[in-house]
Amino acid sequence: MLCWGISANGQNARVENDSTKVTELEEVIITAAVKKKIETEMKMAVSVDEFLASSENISFIKRGAYAWEPLLNNMSTERSTITIDGMHIFGACTDKMDPITSYVESNNLATIDIKSGQEGSMHGSTIAGSIDLKRKSTAFTDEKNWRGSYQTGFEFNNKQFFNLGNVSYSSDKFVADGSISYRKAENYSDGNNDEVNHSQFNKFNTSLGLAYKTSPLSSLRADAIFDVAKDVGYPALPMDLWLSRALITSVAYKQLFEEGLIRVWDSKIYFNAIEHYMDDTKRPENLVHMDMPGWSTTYGLVSKVNLIKDNLSSEIQLNAYNNLSIAEMRMYPQDRSERTMFAYSWPWVTTRYAGLSVNNSLDFTEKSQVNFGGSLGVNYNHSKYVDFNWIFYPGAPQEKTRLLPSLNANYILNISDFNFSVGAGYGHRAPSVSEGYGYYIYNSFDRYDYIGNPDLKNEISYEANASAGLKKEKMSIEAKVNYFHIQNYIIGKILSLGSPMNYQSVGVKGYTSLDYARLFNFSLNARYNILDHLHWNGTLTYARGQDDKDGNLPFIRPLSYQTSLQYHYKKFGVQTSVNGDLAQVHYSPEYGEDETPKYTVWNISADYTFYIKNVRSIFQMGAENILNEHYSTYADWGNIPRMGRNIFTSLKINF
Amino acid sequence: MKFFKFMVVVLCFTVTSCTIDKTDFEAEMRRDVTEYFEFKEAVSLHTNGYSISVEALNGTFFKGYNEIRLKIVNTQTNQPLNGSDVTLLPLLTNSDSNNTTSCPHRYDLVYNSDEQFYSGYAVFTSESDPMERWEVYISFSDNAQTFTVHQPINVQVQTNKNLNMSAFIGNDGEQYFIALVAPQKPKVAENELVAGIYKYNQPTTPAGNFPDPSQFSYSEVSNHTLLLDPRMPEPSMGNHSSPNNQDLTQQNDGLYYGVVNYTMTGNWTLNFILQNQNGEVIKGTEVPTDFTPGIEGAKSELYIDILF
Repeated sequence: MLCWGISANGQNARVENDSTKVTELEEVIITAAVKKKIETEMKMAVSVDEFLASSENISFIKRGAYAWEPLLNNMSTERSTITIDGMHIFGACTDKMDPITSYVESNNLATIDIKSGQEGSMHGSTIAGSIDLKRKSTAFTDEKNWRGSYQTGFEFNNKQFFNLGNVSYSSDKFVADGSISYRKAENYSDGNNDEVNHSQFNKFNTSLGLAYKTSPLSSLRADAIFDVAKDVGYPALPMDLWLSRALITSVAYKQLFEEGLIRVWDSKIYFNAIEHYMDDTKRPENLVHMDMPGWSTTYGLVSKVNLIKDNLSSEIQLNAYNNLSIAEMRMYPQDRSERTMFAYSWPWVTTRYAGLSVNNSLDFTEKSQVNFGGSLGVNYNHSKYVDFNWIFYPGAPQEKTRLLPSLNANYILNISDFNFSVGAGYGHRAPSVSEGYGYYIYNSFDRYDYIGNPDLKNEISYEANASAGLKKEKMSIEAKVNYFHIQNYIIGKILSLGSPMNYQSVGVKGYTSLDYARLFNFSLNARYNILDHLHWNGTLTYARGQDDKDGNLPFIRPLSYQTSLQYHYKKFGVQTSVNGDLAQVHYSPEYGEDETPKYTVWNISADYTFYIKNVRSIFQMGAENILNEHYSTYADWGNIPRMGRNIFTSLKINF
Repeated sequence: MKFFKFMVVVLCFTVTSCTIDKTDFEAEMRRDVTEYFEFKEAVSLHTNGYSISVEALNGTFFKGYNEIRLKIVNTQTNQPLNGSDVTLLPLLTNSDSNNTTSCPHRYDLVYNSDEQFYSGYAVFTSESDPMERWEVYISFSDNAQTFTVHQPINVQVQTNKNLNMSAFIGNDGEQYFIALVAPQKPKVAENELVAGIYKYNQPTTPAGNFPDPSQFSYSEVSNHTLLLDPRMPEPSMGNHSSPNNQDLTQQNDGLYYGVVNYTMTGNWTLNFILQNQNGEVIKGTEVPTDFTPGIEGAKSELYIDILF
């Protein structure tokens, strides 16, 4: 019963990765129990963005203090699949101001599962990999049990005040999880103590999950997340977010099997609706008043079975979804009595996808393992108001169906304390809604209006990866490399025809396929336990991206480093870290980049754990960017400066 | 459990509260545009046992291009009059100066035997008002007898700017007219742009009996090219233009056809350069392509404003 209890914990699909057999379902419990908490070494109360940033695969494009766009393997979100428990959700903002990560909150997530390259093709076709945000879900328990936590804090730089609350109830038949959170922040100040205007945000998030055990081996679970962000400023943009709302719902049925080939069958239907309303009512300096509302509605199905036979374990997943993306722009003339000007930036574009993914894990020996898999997907697009697309691409088809295959394999070898892996992958992806059907989407980074091309070819990735590591009791070190050769790499190129529509823009770019582009990522991670209570950790990453003419690709992170020391003694903990990027040598003027100088940021924090009547509480206080460095990173739009010195405090109570 | 019930209530409330509605695109396109497809009687005349029905779109004459259909019925036999030589002459009289002029029109109407009407057009250059009076003079023959009849008509304001017109003196000293014929209701799309281009023929002989058609002669300009450059004049649009437009050239029906792309709804200016068959500019100037946010877009000497 206990086994089932934890397995009902839902999305822990580690079964197939473990070399364990069925009889060792309890092993699953362990993996489930040690799942990563949503906190970083430095800070226990982090936003989802800050947490993602602590992964070496992830970097961010930042347009302000809120809703950072995660780049996986230095590739933008079109090239990765971002899902919540396997559910596909698509942002409703043409300017990518609402990555999926902005619609969840750290207190409704259990962990974030990042897979690099084609290994991430379980959730659908991808090039860069997948980011799956896994929600919290409490296990069934024999005894009735209430648990909860509450976290509050204040950050001085932008006067951010946040309150996060969680509560869960579990019994042998019924489980409920609830969370609620609210964050409110004002403008932050940069390293020169200058206020960065339009960097405020307000976010409310709540979630509810109810699970019912329909039989000893099956359960039904319904989940909902509701997220509202209001009055969010984007200093790097000429517009702000007035309101965004997301409703993310799902109903899942899970069936376990005690014996036989099939071990777990997990199916889920889902629906999510996102509204995102940008306007510029707070920017009186703008020449044109403009509204840019967007809507994205998706429904779909995920169904997954886990099979185990001898030393082979397999996972088969069916993904199907239907998305409708709509984005409007309405410009107001200076003389408001005149007629407003209207166009669609996403002319009611439907995307349908259905694909089957398989991942197998074969244990050769105790020491070596082969993982191999693939997927085949069908992607269909339809543009309702195709007239918009015909303006630049006369006669382009209104509908387009693409076949998206993917293959991947890797070999893992463990020899005493050493571990090695080599792998390869091949995969296609379809152009995103913007790349295929976007219409005058203003990009404030290079200040061009972007036009989608419905006839773009599939992007095809050939990928190789390898890693080597050494793990000892006192230390560990691991190096990872990957290389992507991407055929038909989609990027914006200046069009000789047409003229800009947005008054800030300088021209029109069309999404075009380069013959190919190449991307190389390297990371080195080391850990050393200097003393029992003193740990050191260091990370180094390097990436290089080049197009078919050996020019630099944009948004490639320069050499970056992070090093941290942690000291824990009894109820006290002290952490300090230094991180930074070297100067961006390989920048790309062609894509609107300028050279970003190097920067270094030093952070420190201390925490104290105490008990109030058996209620475990932690108080933390710290400072980020202690030296008040004035800097912006390679991926900050408009070179807006990052936050200066920030003192943060937080209190967490678990009951 | 109370917490969960509370959450459900909060969820229901917040989800159903109001936000922005999606734009009804079809309604958006109709907002400033009236579209007419149906020919209705605009004026009827009676003479010597014949009744003449002059039909125009929506039964209204508008300033600009008007397709005209004439039906003549012998009221004694109640039979339509087929294959007659029918002429139409619109005349504008200014009551101040008592000066009479005309406008581009088809004088000898073309008989459409399928639908039994006489087809023509008139490009009215102004609206009727107390000082300026429009009349139509119609003549037809039956049984070797010619009948002439005339009647005042009412020319109304064309509210659909997509059917605007322009009259101008060309660099060759001649009087020209450009009238938009289609689309009545443009779309944010590629639109086939149709225009009529006409010229006043200076009389070469002294005036005969009024109304002497030789004094009021207009012809369709042939084999010219109308170079097209559409722009949005709104200052905030910074002289925005569109791609893939095609200049207007003459087709078999005498009208000029080209392609205009409108990238969004709103005010547009169609900048023209009229070239004759030798490529000489009759009227019009190039418009600078500079992006000029905040400044109203420059216009060619020759242009027509539209709105949709």
